[in-house]
Parts: sequence; C-alpha cells; structure tokens
Amino acid sequence: MEIESKAQAGTMQSSDMMVYVEPAEQLIIEIESTVIKQFEHLIRERIEQQLTLMNITKGLIRVSDRGALDYAIAARIETAVQRSMEA
Amino acid sequence: MLQPLSSQHELQQVATLLGRSGLNFEPDADDVLGIKDQCGRLLATGSRQGALLKMITVDSEHQSSELFAEIIHGLIGRGYQAGIENFFVYTKPAQYHSFVALNFHLLCTSERVALLEYGRGIKHYLQQYASLVEDGKNGCVVVNCNPFTLGHRYLIEKAAAKVDKLYVFVVEADHSSFPFQVRFDLVQKGVAHVRNVVVLATGPYAVSQVTFPEYFLKNSDLARDEQVVIDIELFGRYIAPFFSIKYRFVGSEPYCATTHSYNKALQQQLGQYGVELCELARIESTEGAISASRVRQLLARNSFEPLAQLVPETTLKFLTSSKYLQQVHIEPDLGRH
Repeated sequence: MEIESKAQAGTMQSSDMMVYVEPAEQLIIEIESTVIKQFEHLIRERIEQQLTLMNITKGLIRVSDRGALDYAIAARIETAVQRSMEA
Repeated sequence: MLQPLSSQHELQQVATLLGRSGLNFEPDADDVLGIKDQCGRLLATGSRQGALLKMITVDSEHQSSELFAEIIHGLIGRGYQAGIENFFVYTKPAQYHSFVALNFHLLCTSERVALLEYGRGIKHYLQQYASLVEDGKNGCVVVNCNPFTLGHRYLIEKAAAKVDKLYVFVVEADHSSFPFQVRFDLVQKGVAHVRNVVVLATGPYAVSQVTFPEYFLKNSDLARDEQVVIDIELFGRYIAPFFSIKYRFVGSEPYCATTHSYNKALQQQLGQYGVELCELARIESTEGAISASRVRQLLARNSFEPLAQLVPETTLKFLTSSKYLQQVHIEPDLGRH
C-alpha cells in the first residue's frame, strides 16, 4: 500500500513525536530527533517495523521526535498512516 | 485548552500578555492561538503569518510547563493543514534553545536575533538541486524580474560571459504583480540562448517574508539592517558554498534607494564568505535605464507600443497573450517592486 494523502499525528511534548506522512514515489523515512546521535538507528528500526506491519511500501514519512519510547513511535506512525487513508 | 482566538476581548488579552514580555501585537496574523486557564485567564499565546511564527509568549508564572510546546504544536499543526510545510521563527539569541528542543534548526544568528526553521529545511531545498552543481568559477544573480526585460537579459548575458556557470535565482515570494510561475517562466525563456545559465527558485531563502524580521525589532531602521544581514548570511553560509559561487552580480541601481543600500551591504559583507560582488552598468534605451517598473507603468496605461524597446520577444509574446490578462494584475499606483 502507499500513502495517498497528507496527514499528521502526535504532539511536540517531551517523550512524544510528530509524524507527517505524504505521497512519494518510494518509501522515504526522514528522522529529526533531539536524541538523534544516540538513537537514530533504533527509531528508524521501530518505524520500519510498524510500516511493514501496515504493509506500507511508498510514501514520505517524516518524524520530529522528542525522545518517544518505542510503543509511542508505533502508535504515532499507525495513527498518521490511518489518517492518511481516511482523508 | 488550546484554542483559536478572534474576539476583540481575546485579542486584547493577547496584546496585554505580549506587552508583559516586551513584544508588540500585530493585527495581520493568519492564525492566533491561546491557552487559557479555567478562569479564562490567558496563559500562553502564539500566531502564524504565512510560514512565519510570531507573537509567541508564555505567562511568566508558567514558563516551566509544556505550554510553549503546546502552542508551537498548535500553530504548526494548523499551518500544516493550511498547506505550509516549512516554518520559520525569529527569536532572541538567548532563547533559541527552547526552539531547538522542539527540533527547530538554527539557520543564522546575529547579536540581536536568531532565525530558526522547522521542516525539511534549507538542506532539502539545496538537495533538490544537487545534480546541477558543478565545481568551477561560478557566479549568480538574484532577480525578481517583474517582468523579465532587456535589462535583465543584458545583465545575465554579461555576467554569464565572466563565469563557468551562472545561477539565476528567481525570487519565489509572491509580492509582485507578476506571479512567481510567470516570472520564472519568462526568465527561462528569455535566457534559453545563453549556454551556461541555470534558472532556479530562491525558495523562502532570499528576499522573502522570512527575511523581514521587522516584527521582532521595533526600530524599523534596525530591522532593515538586520534583515539585510540575515539575507546575506543565508546566501553566504548556505547557498554560495553549495553551488561553488564565487561572484554575485548586481545591476547598478539608479532609482531605488532600498536596492542601492542593499547592494552596498552586499559589497561590505560578501567578502567574508569568499564571494566577490560585481556591479554591472545597466543598458539604457533612448529614454533612460530599462526597468521592470517602467514596463509596469506602461502596462497600467495599456500602452503596449513602447514595450518592444524594453522587453525581449519572449516577454512581449506573453504580454500580448490572453494568459497575461488572466494571470497578471497590475495595480494603477505601483511601487518599485
């Protein structure tokens, strides 16, 4: 499946993240994080896992993270993707 | 609770809260948000005008709370829904860390202001042009071309002859009678015959709403100086090194005081970034220097005949087409830009 419209989910509070999704020709994940140096690979892994679970193969996924734990990452990605399907 | 504010009473509350932080209320925002307590007292506020976030403040007793993040989140979330993806904010240099904590990126900072952005940012803007970059003795011009004239063509031809590659940046911000897409298109057509020219859009990174921090600096002379410093720093720190630009060309400016002083500031400040400013004399028609403002004056009077002296065939063709009537709105009493 591909991201078909723009959507966002999450908050800017500490320990949370904002997720922005939009259509794209391939799957692109862009990560900004206040803890990018320590945890980028783990954040990316968790995002990829959730996208695979939801069968997403195309779309631009941008996250702006303030130290979200992995269940929060999964939840925010899931919500953003669902919203993009409903729109 | 986060809510949009619009009533007279609410905006008065906003002005009062801003006043306590030494900030001015400006009535021209697209979106004004606030957070109130149960008694209806305003605890935090922030506004957005286009892509620029402004008038942001949190009540001094609630500084340590997450109200700041909530206000910024509200402004960005609603701005995103309105189609904006990259946001900017000016703040005091001492306070920029609170924005960095929300994943804003510092673009540049002077003694008095810091400019930050949120979104894919200048890195993404430059990256889209990565395939056009070639090492060499490159130059650039930044032009508005409202619309493209023989003067612009002359400047670009002269400049192109002096460098390996000339990047022509067309100002993307739409403050002009001719919309960006039209201006860009006419530049492209007008310079198609010059082999080593590439035409690009400035994005928000030159001469845009973003490079106007007047709001933040109440003294308008100071604001104008600061604006020029920011504009030149963005160019010198990010754009020039990315494209290996060693020369920036400008036309001599006989009419406009603002442009004249901007050119002077370029002269003083570009050197520190390893870029040399080259001023080129304008060509003149039989009735003085060729300028886009003269073209617009003639258009405002529906006087098409003299235009052939001032614009190339490509522009003339557009001005005499039906597209011109559909896409361009010339104000009768026009300014210089």
